[in-house]
Amino acid sequence: MRVSRVRAVARKEMLELRRDPVLLRVIVVLPVAMLLLFGYAVNFNLKHIPLAVWDRANDRISQALVRELEADGKFDVVRHVQSEEELVRLIDRQQARVGLELPPGMLERIRAGQGVKLTALVDGSDPTFAFQAQVGLQKAVGRLNARLVAARMLAGEAQPLPLELAPELLYNPEGNTAAFMVPGIVGIILTQIAVILTGLAIVREKETRMLEALIATPVRPGELVVGKVLPYLAIAFVDALLVLWVGRAVFAVPMRGSPALLLGLVFLFVLGSLAVGIVVSARARTQIQAIFATLVYYLPSIFLSGLFFPIEGMPRALQAVTYLIPLRYFLEAARGIMLRGVGLDVLLVPFAALALFTVLMLVFATLSFRKRLL
Amino acid sequence: MVGLKAAEKVRVERLERRFGHLLAVAGVSFEVREGEVFGLLGPNGAGKTTLVRMLSGVLAPSGGDAVVDGASVVREPERVKARIGYATQEASVYPFLTVRENLEFRAAMYLEGRALAAAVEDALARFGLAEVAARRAGELSGGWRQRLSIAQAVVHRPRVAFLDEPTTGLDPLARRTVWDLVYAEAERGMSALVTTHYMDEAERCHRVGLVYRGRLIALGTPQELKEAVRRRYRFFQLPGTDAEAWRARAGVVDAWQRGGAIRVVLEPDAPVPAGATEEAPTMEDVFVLKIREEDADARV
Repeated sequence: MRVSRVRAVARKEMLELRRDPVLLRVIVVLPVAMLLLFGYAVNFNLKHIPLAVWDRANDRISQALVRELEADGKFDVVRHVQSEEELVRLIDRQQARVGLELPPGMLERIRAGQGVKLTALVDGSDPTFAFQAQVGLQKAVGRLNARLVAARMLAGEAQPLPLELAPELLYNPEGNTAAFMVPGIVGIILTQIAVILTGLAIVREKETRMLEALIATPVRPGELVVGKVLPYLAIAFVDALLVLWVGRAVFAVPMRGSPALLLGLVFLFVLGSLAVGIVVSARARTQIQAIFATLVYYLPSIFLSGLFFPIEGMPRALQAVTYLIPLRYFLEAARGIMLRGVGLDVLLVPFAALALFTVLMLVFATLSFRKRLL
Repeated sequence: MVGLKAAEKVRVERLERRFGHLLAVAGVSFEVREGEVFGLLGPNGAGKTTLVRMLSGVLAPSGGDAVVDGASVVREPERVKARIGYATQEASVYPFLTVRENLEFRAAMYLEGRALAAAVEDALARFGLAEVAARRAGELSGGWRQRLSIAQAVVHRPRVAFLDEPTTGLDPLARRTVWDLVYAEAERGMSALVTTHYMDEAERCHRVGLVYRGRLIALGTPQELKEAVRRRYRFFQLPGTDAEAWRARAGVVDAWQRGGAIRVVLEPDAPVPAGATEEAPTMEDVFVLKIREEDADARV
């Protein structure tokens, strides 16, 4: 391998990248835009759920409950109505997502030591939403219950509740979705940059017939591949740092573990993804083909890696497939390092799996890149 | 094993290439001598590009062999690549790179350090590219781009260059410039194999090979080829616009319209029509008649 040739290929690639306005935007704007988009839009922690209330009691208890519902910003009361039909109609029209009926005489019944049954209509079309809304309702009712019980205990009228749960959230106590998402976004951005750009870089030469002129020179396949890949390795690295920095600055994503270990992980993952890009480009003849081939690789990565949907919730057969998705291991390790602050001793399995994937892909890439036409 | 005679830079023997059922190149043999400009003439799809790709080591032959500057394209294609220059059909220039950067990139595949810098400067001068050295290749006109493409192919001063249709799509002036540049390189001792489908360009070559349907159907200097058809046919020009009718007459091999006149090719013993002026055969005649003979043979 001659260093001067590798350097010439890498330099040429950098010059082209720097002068191609479209590519430049893809490299700098896309990752940040995706991060902001995912960071803000993908939020499992719902707030400001529009709530319609039919308050038939209109006493201190019912008012306290409404205040409790709005207290942590979980619900916004958008309308007070006078009938069940109205509640249903508002939910039909999506002007409210939850309708709450507070029965008459709440204060009297509680004073009399009787229970009160509250009816809540929850829009169940989106299961995630419905679940969050129910939890929010239960929490608010629970808080009010606790206050009422405490007041009665002071008056010597009641005993504490027999069982009380005090869950403590480790690692991400605020339930910050971005903290969970950012490591994943680093993963998908790296996949994109590495696989798509590398794939395109080589197929572009093929499509414009430049590859033919190149392979008619004494350049070795290895020199060509290394020279082509080096700039993208650097770019992917810079992009990873950029996303991590924005994640920290904008979304307060923690970095509890070793930054060096995280960079090592990024390096391993990028190398494997670049190799996938080369394999793709060796088969594809046009840039469109390369993009489609990349999507075939990229989409399962997003859905089966545990990025959005917990792997634990998938059917057994699909869970088995996730073991073949390199992004899964990257996510496991990145979340481990960033959120839980654990080291290589705990993350040995994902690191080993990624290393195996990378080595296999590099071998595959070298084999698939030949220096003859047809 | 194909040997290399003195002064022969390229020796092609029974070279063959199949793509599935299609025989793109069907056993072609010829040689290119030192300092010679050899023209490979043929219609589109005749197999010229396939032939050049095999000679450049980028496409493996299905049969036969060729020795290029002492290296076999079958057994040592990488050695071939180190010894040749190859300009592909479409000018292979990177549009976002400047002329100088394009040359530097290609030269770096062969040379390094001071030799590389010297070769680039030398090529800029030889091809008159110094004035556009800082311009992006994408901004060049077709003629200039082709000039750069050839300069790239020979920036490392190879002994043999393969130029695939370097003049296609260029205006006549730009075409002339390209040929002048090719001859200047040949003067310096380089052998050039140039493909073209422009008949008039064949006249510019030292020797010409006619390729048709993957086969070499004629080989020689333009003079020799024209002499050969002159011995077998007679060529006349006469006034008129009914070439169609002339084609049907006895003793007429072919006739076609040429402005207000008709060009008629006759059997040697056919009567000379009144008012006809005898003319010398052109390369176009050679080409057309050779292809007719080839097609006639194929029918038999």
